[in-house]
Amino acid sequence: MTRRFLYTMGCAAALLAAGCGGGRKQLVVAFSQANNAEPYRAAQNALMTRLFAADPGVRLVISDAQQDNSRQVAQVETFIRQKPALLIVAPNERAALTAVMGQAMDAGIPVICLERDILQPNYSTYIHSDNVAIGRLAAQFIVDQLQKKYGTPKGNVVAIRGLLGVEGEINRDRGAKEILDRYPEIRIVADPVADWIQAKAKDRMTEVLRAQPHIDVVYGHNDPMAVGAYLAAKELGREREMIFVGVDGLGGPAGGIRKVMDGVLAATFVYPLCVDKAVEIGLRMLREPGFRPEKEYVLDSLMVTPENAAEMYQRFTVDGQ
Amino acid sequence: MPPILRRAQSFAALLAIFLLAIIISPVAADGSRIFLELGNLTDILRQISLIGMISLAMTFVILTGGIDLSVGSILALSTALTAMFLTRWWPTASYGSHIALAIAAAVAVSTLAGALNGVAIATLRVQPFIVTLASMIGLRGLAKWLTNNENIDIGFGRDVAARFAALFREKAIVIGAFAGAAAVFWTLLERTVFGRQVRAIGDNEKAAEYTGLPIRRTKVWVYSLTGLLSGVAGVLYAAENHQGNPNAGVAYELDAIAAVVIGGTRLAGGKGSISGTIVGTLIMGVLTNMLRLNDVDSNVEMMIKAVIIVLAVAVQREKNA
Repeated sequence: MTRRFLYTMGCAAALLAAGCGGGRKQLVVAFSQANNAEPYRAAQNALMTRLFAADPGVRLVISDAQQDNSRQVAQVETFIRQKPALLIVAPNERAALTAVMGQAMDAGIPVICLERDILQPNYSTYIHSDNVAIGRLAAQFIVDQLQKKYGTPKGNVVAIRGLLGVEGEINRDRGAKEILDRYPEIRIVADPVADWIQAKAKDRMTEVLRAQPHIDVVYGHNDPMAVGAYLAAKELGREREMIFVGVDGLGGPAGGIRKVMDGVLAATFVYPLCVDKAVEIGLRMLREPGFRPEKEYVLDSLMVTPENAAEMYQRFTVDGQ
Repeated sequence: MPPILRRAQSFAALLAIFLLAIIISPVAADGSRIFLELGNLTDILRQISLIGMISLAMTFVILTGGIDLSVGSILALSTALTAMFLTRWWPTASYGSHIALAIAAAVAVSTLAGALNGVAIATLRVQPFIVTLASMIGLRGLAKWLTNNENIDIGFGRDVAARFAALFREKAIVIGAFAGAAAVFWTLLERTVFGRQVRAIGDNEKAAEYTGLPIRRTKVWVYSLTGLLSGVAGVLYAAENHQGNPNAGVAYELDAIAAVVIGGTRLAGGKGSISGTIVGTLIMGVLTNMLRLNDVDSNVEMMIKAVIIVLAVAVQREKNA
């Protein structure tokens, strides 16, 4: 009997501690995040929290789907019941979230689709960046570096790929190959798959280093994989033989910009968090009665090299990261 | 304590959480409690249906003193096969037979996978934990290999795959499938010789063997049924998420085991019930919904769930003593 009481009281206490935040009349903005565990997405959450906190009339609620489609669908369904003033969804995967975001639109809730596309335009606006363009930028940087090194664009490149089948991986690869394919003397000598993960990239790169006596550039589809490749090369004393290029360009002490400042990466390309734009457009949707957002906003990337890294670090580091 | 009272105790826990959910439910604009909206209550049922179905079968497995870690991988295999069958194979078929055959094929392969688990456990006498750990890894690999690591998207057009998804993501069908499976498994356990054999094996396998019960055959059946229900859950997963995702269902085995254990089934086998498992599934579902409706931080949500699991089992210990 005592145990059953404890049981109930435990729940009640936990809820009181966690749940009773907003008594005043505030506009609720609900954000369904695909997976808090990825650094990129944690940075999105931190920035969004900070930007909305500046507006006392808005209360932000974030749910974490932990990279599980069913869980995210359920969380969006629950948000629909709560009728927030604005719903922002960073979909875990395209197909899975399409229908439920349509339900939110049908329920009259304005929806911002953040960073990843869905199969039908079930949103008020879609704010994203362009991975093909980022791939092209990275490849152009690589071509320029090789040109500088040999006087002509030639050399051996290792590409370290993210999780196969994911949009970011496909397009960062495609954009880069569009450029690199124009230079027959630039060869991609290996392109192992490391699923975005630093530790895996280190293992794969170790194998590549054993097989390839000469490497000029490592192009990691994200910064952690480029760093993993660097660690592998360093272990074999070969890190000065090649340069490392990454993508994502997150701020904070663990992000890629810091790695450029530290001399680990030669460059990284900022994959925009898309959050500042989302908050700006979101607040206008909430506050300006006649405002109609564009159906789509595409955000540009930025190149981070040792020359501008310190400035970029200031700009992209969010408090509390 | 007599069995009736014991069962009343897990219902009491569910009732306590349900009442708590009503009391702390946020209130909609018209003054009604959001938690009690019919739409929200059916949301909960739909959201627990897939794990619920797997939990029904897991109850049988645990009653025999076994465990099945491969359910999430079987679900992924079934989901992938369903989507591949509908989008790639046999395009000339009529819609009805195409859908029927896709489901039949996915469920048949899943049942076969479960049967192989059962045969390995019953004849090789390897522990269920190890056999199903191996098939958890192997079947995940098979699903990824078949799909070449890609999500098989099911679109929203007028093709057979889209129609399949539209039909089988209907709440009534998903909840109906769970209810039907629950009725069948309750009858099997409580009203048939097979059900008594399942309990007898878990209670005391040696004794069951000396009495001449068909232990091997029963085990093969139990694991086949688990494959079957995981397969059905996989078919519904494909419809709900509009895709065949080889990465689906990760950690579902743990959710299912949690539901079974909260429902009062003894992990060592022999004691437990289908009604308890249904209550256990409902407790997790209502709890999740309650916490989400109140915007409890998802990290806190995990901590609260941990407390609930331990408390629930503590209550079981009291009553089993």
